[in-house]
Order: sequence, then structure tokens, then C-alpha cells
Amino acid sequence: MPSKDKGHSSITTSDQELVLSSLEPEQLTGLKKHLIPRRHLRGLEKFIVWSLRIYLLFMMAVVIFQVWTSLH
Amino acid sequence: MGIGPPSRVTPQAVIQNDVVITHEDIDRAHDRIRVSAARAQRGVFSRFRLLWLLVGPGILVMLGENDGPSMISYAATGARFGIGFFIPFVVLTFCMALVVQEMTMRLGSATHRGHAELIFDRFGPFWGWFSMIDLGIGNFLTLITEFIAIRAGLGFFGVPPWAAVVSALAFLGLAIMTHRYWTWERTLLAIAVFNLVFVPVALLTHPNWHSVGRALITWKPLPGGLSQETLIIVLADIGATVTPWMLFFQQSATVDKGLTTKDIRLGRIDTVVGAALAAIAAVATILATAPLFAHHMTAENFQGAEFAQALQPLIGRFGAALFALGIVEAGMVASVTISISSAYAFGEVARRPHSLNLPMAEGRAFYSVLFLCAATAGAIVLIPGLPLVYVVLLVNVVAVLAMPPALVFLFMLANDREVMGDLVSPRWANLLATSVVIFLTLAGVFFGISVIAPNVFAFLGGK
Repeated sequence: MPSKDKGHSSITTSDQELVLSSLEPEQLTGLKKHLIPRRHLRGLEKFIVWSLRIYLLFMMAVVIFQVWTSLH
Repeated sequence: MGIGPPSRVTPQAVIQNDVVITHEDIDRAHDRIRVSAARAQRGVFSRFRLLWLLVGPGILVMLGENDGPSMISYAATGARFGIGFFIPFVVLTFCMALVVQEMTMRLGSATHRGHAELIFDRFGPFWGWFSMIDLGIGNFLTLITEFIAIRAGLGFFGVPPWAAVVSALAFLGLAIMTHRYWTWERTLLAIAVFNLVFVPVALLTHPNWHSVGRALITWKPLPGGLSQETLIIVLADIGATVTPWMLFFQQSATVDKGLTTKDIRLGRIDTVVGAALAAIAAVATILATAPLFAHHMTAENFQGAEFAQALQPLIGRFGAALFALGIVEAGMVASVTISISSAYAFGEVARRPHSLNLPMAEGRAFYSVLFLCAATAGAIVLIPGLPLVYVVLLVNVVAVLAMPPALVFLFMLANDREVMGDLVSPRWANLLATSVVIFLTLAGVFFGISVIAPNVFAFLGGK
């Protein structure tokens, strides 16, 4: 049976029934501990993600350069 | 297969696994009962009631993104370029935001997981931490600019900077102290609608509607042509509309509100209404400061709400005060939404309770992160001599640059059939999302070229 939150004994059986009847199972806070299965990036996905990561690092360097030139 | 995502947990499993029920679940269950009751009834009134119960995350994220730095960017745009290219451009950026935010709402409704949690679970901690670092840095920088806006806006009324920061922190505390998502959302919505205060301010300037109509159709004029300054304003205006925190906030708020796959249609309406209201406020801000351009007044010396001081001779003390209040409201609302976005992401990654339905005793870590981020950002703003408008524009530029990597993960998740089932993005949505990623990346590349080789623009007819 679903248990009460251990730190909160004010939760009653009718509360439990209310929650189970109105929320979808995956909405229950307690069930969010179940991880969604991992998937690995494929070739093209990996290429795009890495390219954008390098793009971001490069552009941050550009922004720092822009700030530096503005200050001088 | 049904329309929803494939279920990973059955109700039987719930009971067998001895699930812990929390106060957060009970509060959310009460909200869902009201939604179910409204859905069960027929008639126009019930339809409106259902819509009223379900709107929130979409409007809040869009009006929240019309934040302090955004409004200052729009004000700088109007003062520097007047009525022209940037009016339709800003409308376009809100269309881009709509495409992106619809995906987060759909993801949240289908998976009941926040964005950070989903990236960590699905792609692993390596990519998860990259996203979190981007979000953390972006949120913190943006929070600083929110306090800049609040300080500048209240400065118009003679409030000293320290008092402005303390007021903002007190507002943040009041906004979350109900420990109830529903109350927080309704209160913040009521305040966020005040963002439309820029509309009467714009009307006070008696805009030339013929010029506005012509600009919307022709995308002209663009005074000064293509230059590094134009590109910074282009990027700042994009960053004023589409930023990483919005992805994390709307998906987490959708989950916290308890939306399900049945609510997606009205969730879309919520997002469209939010985008429309925010676009109106943004265009109104450009129109409001356009007279500064027409009167050849330079915007270089304005610091946030000093735009209000500059406008005072043109629209009077009342109009200028409204403008300053608008900047304050924008900063206040966004300081709440952005702090909450950081706290949601922290809770999702650290596997700690993360909900605005949490009582303080259960959500100490969530509320501490929320408040600590805001307090640190507020303290930084008190450093004397900060070039406020420059910092604001720069933070918006950084937000745009961080957007493509964030969008690629959103795109992959929204097309992940194992997670979304039949709710994966349709082809037209993918086409639009891909266009947004390419557009943002190219805008960043152009900015980079303008910094590294500014002379290149001379070849393109610019400055």
C-alpha cells in the first residue's frame, strides 16, 4: 500500500486515495526516483552537440575579447 | 499505441512499490480535481473556466522573459533605431520563442519531468552538467541584470540602490511564502500583466501608425545599416525573447502545475497568449522610446530607467513614471521566475524535493537555492560604477549564444519516441525548430565576425 510521507503524519488515508485517483502514476513525487532509461548519442547527434559546444566556448572567448577591447 | 507517451509505471506498480505520498502530491491532486470537474462540464463558461485553470506557465514564461534587461534592450532599440526594421524583427523573435516553448510544455505534460532532470536521465550526467553549467551561469548573469533594472527603475522615484535591492528580495520572499503553486502562479500572473503598462506609455508618445504599418511590411528603415552596433542590438533583442532559462522554467512549471497530455491543447493556447501579450509590450516599448531617436537624442548615457527621465519632456511626469514602474515590474517578476528556474533545476539534478507546493520544512534546499541566487545577484548590483546598459546588452548576447546547444537537447527530447510516444514533434515543428537553431547560430557567428574582423561589414555596405 502507498505509505505516508514519514515526516508528515498529517497525511490521511483519504489524502492517499485522493492523490491516487487524481494524479497519473508518473506524477507522484515518490515515483520520480525511477530514472528514465538512458540513450546514447548517435554519430550525427554527437557531432552536432560537440560542434555547438565548441561554438559556445569560442563565442564566449569572443565576448570576453569584446569586453576587453571596450574597456581599453 | 495511444496518443500519450509510453507508460513506464503502471498503477499496480505504484501500489506494490510502497510509494510515499507527500503534501506536494496532495496540493497537486486538489488542483487536478478542479481541472477534471471543469473538463467534465459542458458550456462556454466551463470551457473558459478550464482555460483559466490551465493557463499560467506559458504566460508567465513569456511575460517573465519581458524582463528588466529585455525592456532596456527594447528601449535602447527604439532610442537608437526608431520605428523600422526592429518592429517586425521583435515580432519574429516572439514567433521563434513560441515554437521553442511549445516543445517544453509538451515535454513537461508528457513526461512529468523537468528539463534538467530529463537531460540527466536520458543523456547522462556528462551532457547534463554541461547544460546545468550553461543554465547556472546564464541565470546568474541575468539575475544581476534584473536587479540592475529594479535599481534603475526605483531610482527614478529617488529610492536608493540598497533599498531597491532589499525591496526586490522582500518581494521574492512574499511571492513564494504561500508554499502553494496555484497561489504563487495567480499572484505573479496578476503582477506580470502590468508589463502591458508600456502600451499606454507608447500611446502617450503619439506614434506614427503609418510608419509602424510600413515597418511591419517592409522591415525598413534600418538607420546606419549593418554594423557591429546593429548586430549587438539584434542579438540583444533575440536574447530578450529566447533564452535557456525559459526552457527549464516552463517545463518545470508545467510539471509542478500538474499538466497532463489532455491539457496540451490549452497549454498551447497559454503559450500563444503569453507570446502575444509579451510581443505587444515589447513593440510598445520600442514605440515609447522611438521619439528619442526622432529628436536626435542619444541613448548612450541612459542607464535603464533614465530612459524614463529622457522621455519626461515628451510624455510628462506621469508617462515617465509609468515607464519606470514598468521597468521595475519587469525586473521583479523575472527575478522571481529566474530564481525559481535555478531552484527547480538544482532540485531535479540533486534529486531533492523541488516544488512551489513544498512547505518550508520539506523544501529547505529548494527555497535556499532560490533565495541565495537572488541575494548574491542583488549584492553584486550594489557595486558602484557598473556600466549598467552595457552589462544588460552583453548578458542578452550571452543568452543568445548559449541557446543553440540548449535547443539541440530540447529538439532531441521532443523527437524521442521512447519518451514522448506519439507526441513527438510533427515535421513542420521540426522544420521551424531547425530554422530557429540555424538562425541563432548564424546570428552568433555574424556577431563573432563583427568583433574579430569589423572591416568585413564595409564590404557588405555597412559600417
